[in-house]
Amino acid sequence: MKISVQINASPYQHQTADTAWHFIQAALVSGHEVYRVFFYHDGIYNALRDSRPPGDERDIVKRWSELYRQSNIDLVVCVSSAQRRGLLEQSVAKKVGGYDKALADGFRIAGLGLLMEAVIDSDRHVTFGD
Amino acid sequence: MKTLVFVIDKPLHGNVRAQEFLDMAMMAAAFDQRVLIVFEGDGAYALMKNQHADVIGLKNMIPVLNALAIYDINDVLIERESMKSRAISEDQLLIPADILSRCDIKSRMNAAGHVFSF
Repeated sequence: MKISVQINASPYQHQTADTAWHFIQAALVSGHEVYRVFFYHDGIYNALRDSRPPGDERDIVKRWSELYRQSNIDLVVCVSSAQRRGLLEQSVAKKVGGYDKALADGFRIAGLGLLMEAVIDSDRHVTFGD
Repeated sequence: MKTLVFVIDKPLHGNVRAQEFLDMAMMAAAFDQRVLIVFEGDGAYALMKNQHADVIGLKNMIPVLNALAIYDINDVLIERESMKSRAISEDQLLIPADILSRCDIKSRMNAAGHVFSF
């Protein structure tokens, strides 16, 4: 089955990002295709490169970057959600004089069209976080 | 074509979520999907006239509601029970909406491909 995932909540504050990550792992192990993970609303905070949790905690951002490295799953951060919350794509950051290294490895910033494409093309679209 | 339902169960003004949520619905319509918007629970307040978002410094979402028809989103449903328990009458509604029972709305949602919650 082709599955796409949407994450609406920030990491650490809620269990959302953990549940979504475990769901994706289980889906991959079961032989499903995870087509895209779309980070929307406060979910964009999952893509902050400079997140540094204490050493004895799971590193949620790094875990997403590793997921991309291992499985090549498309990790897309919504551009308008991100800009509103201060996460800028490199070219935009350069243009407006903002911080241009905010985005962690494996993520890309794009528009809502990619969410809709994923919803339309996937057999299931699973949303995490309210 | 898929049928996508967007369920709004909170008032529109209070956080930025409403704006991003309606963006999603309009994007779905722009991708030629069949879009249903459901207002239930406290979401019934979202459709009321005389809202003044500027007073609390938030962006006015009413023009977006008015623009739904431009995006061919004409299936706007509001739950009768939610209106009744909040003493909201039909003439207080800002845009035309189909007033349906909880049961009828659930059956419309069951027939949809995906349900987005607010």
